[in-house]
Amino acid sequence: MTDGARSTLGKLERWGTAAENASLVLLLAAMMIVAVGQIVLRLFFNSGLVWADELLKMMVLWIAMIASVAASRSNRHLRIDVLSHFLPPQVSRLPRLIVDAFASFMCGVIAWQSLRFVLLDYEFGDTVLVDIPAWMAHGIVPLAFAVMSYRFLLLFIREGISLVRHSRRRPPAS
Amino acid sequence: MIALSILLLVLAVFGAPLFTVIAGSAMLGYHKEGVDLMAVAVEILGIAGMPFLSAIPLFTFAGYLLSESNAPKRLVRLTGALLGWMPGGLALVSLAACAFFTAFTGASGVTIIALGAILYPALQQDGYPENFNLGLVTTSGSLGLLFAPSLPLILYGVVAEVSIDDLFRAGVLPGLLMLLMLSGWSFWVNRGNRRPLKSFSLREVGAALRESMWELPLPVVVLGGIYSGFFAVSEAAAVTALYVLIVEVFILREIRLAQLPTVMRESMLLVGGILIILGVSLASTNYMIDAGVPQKLLAIVAELVTSQTTFLLLLLVFLLILGAILDIFSAIVLVVPLILPIAAQYGVNEAHLGIVFLAAMQLGYLTPPVGLNLFIASYRFDYPIMRVYAATFPFLVILTLSVIIITFWSGLSLWLIPD
Repeated sequence: MTDGARSTLGKLERWGTAAENASLVLLLAAMMIVAVGQIVLRLFFNSGLVWADELLKMMVLWIAMIASVAASRSNRHLRIDVLSHFLPPQVSRLPRLIVDAFASFMCGVIAWQSLRFVLLDYEFGDTVLVDIPAWMAHGIVPLAFAVMSYRFLLLFIREGISLVRHSRRRPPAS
Repeated sequence: MIALSILLLVLAVFGAPLFTVIAGSAMLGYHKEGVDLMAVAVEILGIAGMPFLSAIPLFTFAGYLLSESNAPKRLVRLTGALLGWMPGGLALVSLAACAFFTAFTGASGVTIIALGAILYPALQQDGYPENFNLGLVTTSGSLGLLFAPSLPLILYGVVAEVSIDDLFRAGVLPGLLMLLMLSGWSFWVNRGNRRPLKSFSLREVGAALRESMWELPLPVVVLGGIYSGFFAVSEAAAVTALYVLIVEVFILREIRLAQLPTVMRESMLLVGGILIILGVSLASTNYMIDAGVPQKLLAIVAELVTSQTTFLLLLLVFLLILGAILDIFSAIVLVVPLILPIAAQYGVNEAHLGIVFLAAMQLGYLTPPVGLNLFIASYRFDYPIMRVYAATFPFLVILTLSVIIITFWSGLSLWLIPD
């Protein structure tokens, strides 16, 4: 990898983290304000916004998607974590390599399938939240899975490189 | 087909993110039935169709904020002032404070880190045996799971479509039973050291109350609001999150504004992990129900089991094994939809089933080899994992006893639920 390519990737990484953090902060803040605002309206004005409930649910979807991209960056997805606790680090590298390749593939497939669905949304001109195009609201799903697929691919490449380096460096058996 | 399913299992054991394994099995199923794989995408969008789900990110965020502030210290002081006069006071204080904190922070392991760090050195200093302290702190990390508004309770309610209010009521007495039995064990172990923590002082209670005056309204508003039916659980979560944010960041200023994005991100990592599994599980559950898996399971179970008691026994054994392998959140979304119809056939109340499910899964936090609390404690207090296994074992036995009682005494769960 050239230095130029590496620094571009590094930049992408930092921008990605910043974008995740910013959207999580905004979504959480908006969620609190909408939900509490709805309570205030209900209690003091005996009214409410008809679309507030649907908006909150849509925000949960967005948080779920963006937070799971963040979880894949920080390697915090829920998993059955037996091997890494009991195998020496060198040995557990190979299963991890396989697993990262599989995760990248699976996320890619989901990204593709949900993109097909979102394109249908677009074609039919479906709307959510009164008149927001559905493809915008649902578009987060293919986007998030595509980014996760890319993240797991990076992990796979990184693991692969260190596996190759490690086996080269190992002293010959005496 | 079978080969591919086995491959998925192997990948899961290798440590593949569970959501990818679940998505893989759902797609395999859809493919076999000739359903367009796009259906998986539609099911994931189902996250946006579930009621009350916003409670999960909001409560988790509030819990992380609290654990980053000095609230754990204040909570320990207040519990100490109220309970410290009893013999073996500090052990009781630890159990009560941890249970309360876990309920509010959703049983994600933050209790061991936030409270254990204060309680463990205090227990050592007070002359309690080292193994007892280690076991106590490790166990306390998931104690309180059955009390409102813990995340697993909410998640069970959403997945099983059971009234979350009923679940919050059902958890109270079983949760107290666990606390009582562990307290009894603590008394017994430390019968040689019946020193109270300190003598009771109204002045200390007053000072501790004053110190925590900003947090005191929280349990009142949240629990009072939910139990009285004034707030839906998602509304209570929003009020809690906003209130905690204002208090800890702007009034007490224990968390700097610049820290806020980090705390938010940190708390959302867990939420993302849970919700994405929920999303792909909607797809796999849908496939399994279409394929009649619950009926087939029921047919197998019906061969083996005729009475409710034997069914509960079988269920308990199954859940204990499940808890040793899977984390509580994945177990809820994956398994509950399958056992719910079977349990109904045996006349098990769905709120009681939820309490049994969560109580049994709570043991999973402490079961070797992969119990989450064991690793957090080993890491946090710097003990070899085998030592933590050994120290926690007596507590695990006591909790297992309590889970058996909770399972077979359904009245305990159902007592507080109005008909």
